[in-house]
Amino acid sequence: MSRTKLKSLGIELPIFPTSTVGSFPKPDYLVEARAKFAKKKIERKELEDLERQATAFWIRTQEDIGLDVLVDGEMYRGDMVAYFSELMPGFEQSGLVRSYGNRYYHKPIIVGEVKWPGSMTVGWWRYAQGLTKRPVKGMLTGPYTVMDWSFNEHYPDRRSACLALAREIRREVEALVEAGAKIVQIDEPALSVRPEELPFAIEAMHMVTDGLPAYFIIHACYGAFDKIYSQMLKLPVDNLDLAISHSTLNLMEMFRRDPFTKDLSVGVLDVHSHEVETPETVRARVEKALQLLPKESLWIDPDCGLKTRTIDEAKGKLINMMAAVKRLRAEAGAN
Amino acid sequence: MELLLANHSSYPRIGDAAGQQRLRRAYAQHERGEITAQEFEKIQTSMIQEIVQEQASAGFDLVTDGQIRWYDPISHFAGRLDGVKINGLLRFFDTNFYIRQPVVVDRISWKGPILVEEYRSAQAVSPKPVKVTLTGPYTLGRFSILESSRYRDLPELVADYTEALMKEVEALVGAGAALIQVDEPSMLHHPGDAGLVKVALTRIESRKGSARLLLATYFGDAAPLYEVLQGFPVDALGFDFTYSHGLSDLIARLGSDKAIAFGLIDGRNTRMERTEEVLPTLRKVAPKVKGSPSYLTSSCGLEYLPRDKAHLKLKQMAAVRAAFAGRG
Repeated sequence: MSRTKLKSLGIELPIFPTSTVGSFPKPDYLVEARAKFAKKKIERKELEDLERQATAFWIRTQEDIGLDVLVDGEMYRGDMVAYFSELMPGFEQSGLVRSYGNRYYHKPIIVGEVKWPGSMTVGWWRYAQGLTKRPVKGMLTGPYTVMDWSFNEHYPDRRSACLALAREIRREVEALVEAGAKIVQIDEPALSVRPEELPFAIEAMHMVTDGLPAYFIIHACYGAFDKIYSQMLKLPVDNLDLAISHSTLNLMEMFRRDPFTKDLSVGVLDVHSHEVETPETVRARVEKALQLLPKESLWIDPDCGLKTRTIDEAKGKLINMMAAVKRLRAEAGAN
Repeated sequence: MELLLANHSSYPRIGDAAGQQRLRRAYAQHERGEITAQEFEKIQTSMIQEIVQEQASAGFDLVTDGQIRWYDPISHFAGRLDGVKINGLLRFFDTNFYIRQPVVVDRISWKGPILVEEYRSAQAVSPKPVKVTLTGPYTLGRFSILESSRYRDLPELVADYTEALMKEVEALVGAGAALIQVDEPSMLHHPGDAGLVKVALTRIESRKGSARLLLATYFGDAAPLYEVLQGFPVDALGFDFTYSHGLSDLIARLGSDKAIAFGLIDGRNTRMERTEEVLPTLRKVAPKVKGSPSYLTSSCGLEYLPRDKAHLKLKQMAAVRAAFAGRG
């Protein structure tokens, strides 16, 4: 486990550290304010005040529930790629593209050299960290996902677009680390979509993380995990956050073939279901992971961001997750 | 080699211009019960007329209805068959587009025509022949969740999807469809199953009458299967050249007895290909392709692009074809 690394960074965590993947549901007042801002009916300052209010609410809520590593909840973000592409020079927004049914979105287009515009998340990290003594994760979308979820009119191919983004995103990570972030999560949900491209996705991740004094987590939905598992071990991060609780893959067999060498964040809550998992369900999912890895290697969190759930559902799920973890800790002789 | 311009399949159903948003509004109004099914249908038809016209004006010889009435390429078929119910969303290959996943709960069987009225209605408003697209039985099988004990494995499931699509093809031919495209993108991800696809297409081919059958492959590299595909019982093979970088050399070397649908224009990226980028490939392979007419098209359906860019891609394909024919 990279507990030694965490300790060297000044972070002591209990056994089965708990966290969340990043996003929380926005309170109604913020949803309304964002709609008004989009229609230019309120000023940015008014929106930001409400975003801060909502961030404070979620920091308090995470502390009350007892989570160990907190997130800012992404109250200031809409889409995880659009947030960054709207700030970074080199991008334009496309016309509408359908995602399913009657749902459409503006997909970013890379039209020029991408550039880091100065910090994009540091202000929010500082604000959130200032509200709590517990560690708050720095949160970024990774270069492969930003590339994959954008059109590319500028770079000659997907690899060069990805590496150019990696170079600029590293500057954001450096800024987060300089501000004091000790744990940084890079979100790469697109990572598994084209297994043949994993070598350059790994190259990009090296560019983002190499030599920086932080504990790095990569969040990747599992997708074609069976095809890319052994290569994923080459990712230069300390912790892989995978939605394995719903996986039907034979992880045991895969882990036997290529021993898992990192910490694993085990997604134990289904973020697409309204149902609040019982502590027993959570426990069963953790135990499934315990068949694969020693307890010292496991972190516990939801499968993905909780933003699509209601506030009550999100809280209910996390409370039960924490209840299960507390029992597991007690049984392991820790508090 | 005669080269026709043929739209691939889907087309953006809304655009950013105010008038191009009417289908989106109508969809929401229909869901809320604020307009009737007839009123909704009228707006869908008007959008189909608009996009058919957009293709014809760009110079396309074969147009599609843009799959405007489809929720997605999987549930549109599977959900209209007996024995299948429709489940939640699932990402469609490596796109940001989601389909509703079929769950096979009983024996699959064809209830009646699925695309015939869509074909007739598009043809009625089109100055050009309408190409019909079906999602192939193998891809339908691959995207299905199997809950029925009637099927032991994928080949059995594919066999019944094939049976249903044979009837659909027969109905389409009866309605006058002259070019029928069968999409099998899943095959490229499971090349070992090409034999299964060939068996399915052999059965479908037996119902095609005088229509031409085009097998469309995309979202993967078809080069490793190229020689095998030459033995398939279809009139034309469609390829996504954005994934198949070695394919043009392979065609130039081995030739093709079949017509080819050249998916040389990227249907998933807004960057506009220049004529001089595309033309050399066409010039290189054309003398080796015996099947005629062949088609110039996009790598996949154009619905992955915003409407304005899709329209520009149509115009760019027309420019490439004109240059190929010596008119550019």
